[in-house]
Amino acid sequence: MKPSIRILIAVAVLLPATQLLATTFLPSNRIVRQLAIEPAGSVWIDNPFGSIDVIGGEGTVITVTAQRSIVASDATALKEASDAVTISFEGDSKVRLIRTLMPALRNAHATVDYTIRVPKSVAVKIGSKSADHIRVSHITGSVTVNGFAGTVIMEDVIGASILNIVNGRVIYDYQQNPIAKAEVQAVNADIDVYVPASAKFNWVADTINGDILTTFPIRSPRFAGTIFRGQINGPGGPTINTATMMGRVLLLAKGSDPGKASSMRLNPPEHRPAPSDVMLTPGVKIQLPFHDGDWSFVASVAAIAVGEVRGNAHIQIGAGELELGAVFGQCNVTLMGGPLNLGDVTGLLSAHTGAGDILVRAARLGGEVSTDGGLLHVLYSGGPMTLHSGGGDIIVGQTSGAVDAQTTSGDITITADPRHRTLKVGARTMQGNVILNVSPRFGADIDATIVTSDPDANVMHIDFTGLTVRREQAGAKTRIHATGKINGGGERVELYAEEGDIHISAQTITPVRLANPRR
Amino acid sequence: MSECRVMAENMPLLLTESLDPVQRELTHQHIESCAACASEWEATKETWRILETLPTVEVPARVKQRFLAEISAASEVPANVVPFRRRSAARWLAEAAAVVIVGGSAFYAGYRATPNVGLKPTPAEVTAIQPSYSIAESRVLPAASISPNIEGRPDIQNVQFTDASPSSQQIGVSFDITSHVTVTGKPADKSMVRLLRYVLENEDKMSPSRSRAIDWVRATYSRVDNPDPEITEALATVLRNDEHQGVRIKAADTLQSMQSAMTGGTRDALVEALKNDPNPAVRVKAVEALAKLARSGAVLDPDMVDTLRKKAAQGDENVYVRVKAAEALSSIQPR
Repeated sequence: MKPSIRILIAVAVLLPATQLLATTFLPSNRIVRQLAIEPAGSVWIDNPFGSIDVIGGEGTVITVTAQRSIVASDATALKEASDAVTISFEGDSKVRLIRTLMPALRNAHATVDYTIRVPKSVAVKIGSKSADHIRVSHITGSVTVNGFAGTVIMEDVIGASILNIVNGRVIYDYQQNPIAKAEVQAVNADIDVYVPASAKFNWVADTINGDILTTFPIRSPRFAGTIFRGQINGPGGPTINTATMMGRVLLLAKGSDPGKASSMRLNPPEHRPAPSDVMLTPGVKIQLPFHDGDWSFVASVAAIAVGEVRGNAHIQIGAGELELGAVFGQCNVTLMGGPLNLGDVTGLLSAHTGAGDILVRAARLGGEVSTDGGLLHVLYSGGPMTLHSGGGDIIVGQTSGAVDAQTTSGDITITADPRHRTLKVGARTMQGNVILNVSPRFGADIDATIVTSDPDANVMHIDFTGLTVRREQAGAKTRIHATGKINGGGERVELYAEEGDIHISAQTITPVRLANPRR
Repeated sequence: MSECRVMAENMPLLLTESLDPVQRELTHQHIESCAACASEWEATKETWRILETLPTVEVPARVKQRFLAEISAASEVPANVVPFRRRSAARWLAEAAAVVIVGGSAFYAGYRATPNVGLKPTPAEVTAIQPSYSIAESRVLPAASISPNIEGRPDIQNVQFTDASPSSQQIGVSFDITSHVTVTGKPADKSMVRLLRYVLENEDKMSPSRSRAIDWVRATYSRVDNPDPEITEALATVLRNDEHQGVRIKAADTLQSMQSAMTGGTRDALVEALKNDPNPAVRVKAVEALAKLARSGAVLDPDMVDTLRKKAAQGDENVYVRVKAAEALSSIQPR
């Protein structure tokens, strides 16, 4: 081993040690209490920080063992925390509430780990913020767990259960065939369910980003959107619902090989194809400098950054971010939600996102770009373009082709390539301004309309003469309409703005020059 | 114009030396400063001079007799008619009323006829080849020399933003009030911050648009190490209140780039936008901002966490918003 590596290892070991030395520890306090409870009673445990083990057994007594640990930066903070963190035992023999009282601590962190033995028939409710684990075992009553972070383990829980966790993992281990409903909801957690091979139940599974795997043969499998439904060992039995947004769901028959679990999402059952099928493919992250040839790609959740696609690109993503540096062919991309960042597109472009901004550096042949809500920014368009936003600004840096732009609410700014004496332009905003920048020699047949409730504020700013401007009142709104030819006329330029201005500005514009793509 | 008309009426009196000294002096001063009245004065004097040179003509006897006969007939009063003698007070009052009416009418006519020069600033528009014009007086004020407190709600218009001097990191905000004012200073100057806040929260006439104004704020304050929280609070107000969806998207996006200056109110505005904004892009920006905040290790309050949990689980929400909410939750360390 090189001396430098030894030194590095020594530093790595010593640094945490110095940190430990600088910290004051309070030796753990242990509390044991015994409380009477009826067999049909409820036990509620509210412990923000610390693990919880609930173990079912016989009898009519709850035995609570609580272990408190405090880490503080100094003696004062330690004392304060020690005084502040207490355990409260409330309720009666029907309902017992065991609560950790933990106000916000300065320069200290406290955890309380519980081991609670209860009669197995009681109902158990647990609330937690952060726990290494929450384990409930051998309970025949109902179980409710509401946590934020940690691993939830259910062992031999026979009663109905509802588990709700944000981050962590869920392990549900049935020792006998399930007879009651189970509802597992998670956000960023994998869910593993182990069930006897002979169990009969309905399985519902849902995930956006992960996979749905099982070693059981599934009867009547079907997808509705991202939700999978199937029957295990025939119809009937309780329903086990396993839903996690970003994690994966694994349903294993006890004794089976997890490696042989098959994916319901990758091998979906026969069903009528739907646009939402894109959500059945597991999520991925891709970073590539280039892709040779045509590229066709589908993913539910994806973060994609590709330098060049040396062919046509056909991409469908449920949710994510897509960045393509250059596409040397046609580009057809659809996102159900997320921003789109496209570079130089040599072929025809068709791009859509359900929510988010779209940036296109160059659409050499033009195309269609739309978002249900977001900003559209096309730096250069070499051909006819149709742009639509469900709400957001539209900017065309420079266009050599006709433009048809519409937004529900937002400004539209279009700059015409000065090398063209005339271009067909349509721009329509239901709330906002329209700004058209052209060269002083630009010729067009102008039809510009402002509809406004404030005619003093919203006006036409036109750098060309020869237009006829009329004002008329239409109910509470004023319609300002400018028509006529500029520079002798040309293609039709139709501009429409509600509650905004229209600018037709004569400017000295430097034409965009595109580099030839390297193939 | 009305002054010229008054002067024209004064000219015969000036010729006959019937004007009082003050009026005479004023009339002369006006004639000296007004080319049209000078010309008129010359013409009047010429006419007067010509009238003096004309010969005296005797009235024919026949005409004279007929004239005197008509006068004497008109002056004969029938016996059964008793003339009313005007009382002196009534006459005085009538004269006073006439003066008031004539004076008032003259003032009104003059007021209406006088162009409203210099009182109302005309919004100037900027294009690349046309510089901004304002007929009002222009003033440049350093931000450091003005009070950061803006009294009342001044009506300012034609707001424009400039990087007055990029080398010295100076910025400028110009607007029309009773005159055209440009305030220059550093982005961190309190007066500049307050002015920007006022402009963002109150003014909708920015040139060329509010969207561009937000772009400018973003470009300016992303360069500043610790942007003033008042800027983010102003953006939060825009995010809450602006009807223009493009502007709201930009406000949320700009807030995302100013994490260090976020206040409780700013965070609340993001949470509100995530919960309620009808535009999915605004919700996307809001959830991205909260995700970034969570990744930075900031403590999110329970309402924020709850909103993120609900968004992640909301089946009818855009899937990207849900994924981003889940991503934000994955970064949160409960405290």
